[in-house]
Amino acid sequence: MTTGISLVRENAESMRPPRSLWVSFSLGRPLGVPNDAQFQHRVIAASLNLLERDRGPILEDYPVNAPKVSRETVPACPVSFPKANNGSNWQSRLAGELSSLKPWYELGRRRRGGRTLACVSDLSIEENLHKLGEYLDLNRLPIDELHWFKQAIEDAKVFYLEAMTAQPGNHDQMQVDQTLWRETQLGAGLFLFYKGFRAHPTLHPFARLILPRTAVRGTTG
Amino acid sequence: MVRATDLPDYEREHLLDKNLPPLGPHCWTKHAKPLKEMRVALITTAGIHFQDDESFDFTDSSFRPIPGEEDSSNLIMSHSSANFDRIGFAEDVNLVFPIDRFKELANVGTIDSLASVHYSFMGAGLMPEAYEQSADQVAHLLKQDQVDAVFLTPV
Repeated sequence: MTTGISLVRENAESMRPPRSLWVSFSLGRPLGVPNDAQFQHRVIAASLNLLERDRGPILEDYPVNAPKVSRETVPACPVSFPKANNGSNWQSRLAGELSSLKPWYELGRRRRGGRTLACVSDLSIEENLHKLGEYLDLNRLPIDELHWFKQAIEDAKVFYLEAMTAQPGNHDQMQVDQTLWRETQLGAGLFLFYKGFRAHPTLHPFARLILPRTAVRGTTG
Repeated sequence: MVRATDLPDYEREHLLDKNLPPLGPHCWTKHAKPLKEMRVALITTAGIHFQDDESFDFTDSSFRPIPGEEDSSNLIMSHSSANFDRIGFAEDVNLVFPIDRFKELANVGTIDSLASVHYSFMGAGLMPEAYEQSADQVAHLLKQDQVDAVFLTPV
């Protein structure tokens, strides 16, 4: 028997799993709040409670929202990203950003007890950004290295995000994402890869793993 | 997340496009024992795994085992979607895969025990039928492990 969490109520309504608890939390946060064991236990208890019901399917709404992040207490992004110097190439611009972000990434990693998600690729972040910059400078798509490209951009994005959220506190996800996509050279470079893949006759589905829909179309605010 | 009706058009259309009919005939297993006697496994579609495991591909219907005794703080993520927050998972594995919470529930006797192995899929880009073989395999493994109930988390 199964129970669990649903994040998109309409999807769960249509598929009718036997038991599911719909929560109003953001995508990526099915238990609601990081590092809050009591909050997570209350969500789990509401879902486990469905196991002892006699009839189903059951789709129950969890009545509590995740606490809103107060703009006044949001830690500032520790790095200010300069406007692009059009005289330099992508490789040097990405290398410059990496130098600014690296101390903050390391600080964030220490604060998280050594934990980082930026380690899916076999290559280092330096090597991955160098290769991404090389493709951008050559105005080419990495169509022969898609497996590497997927891992490299996942590591690069999460490296930036971990550095930008290095300081303790409740970060505003939307604000952090907007900074990544609108102010960084990585965001600008990934937008070019996105446009290239979108226009490719066979590899266009790959575009959707590069940019989130909010970066392509606007914001959900 | 918020109801799809509260989202911008492009986001709502994308999510509602994922509405699908129920998978097969209605199934319902009535509980045969109280929760405190149940052995529970976790399954997530968050595309998480240990660093030494093969990462998930662009579309991928395979699964990764997550042994309960391994250090869950070493779990990483290679999900294909760019459309959800990952920083919460970087801060706390339990936000997506609440293994420590379930260990606590087993310790205080709310559940009987935890499965020896839990499982991770990567839920993106494929229709449910593509997962049938992997799902059958995991169901068989769960039965072997004498699991009574599964707690499912999306991402």
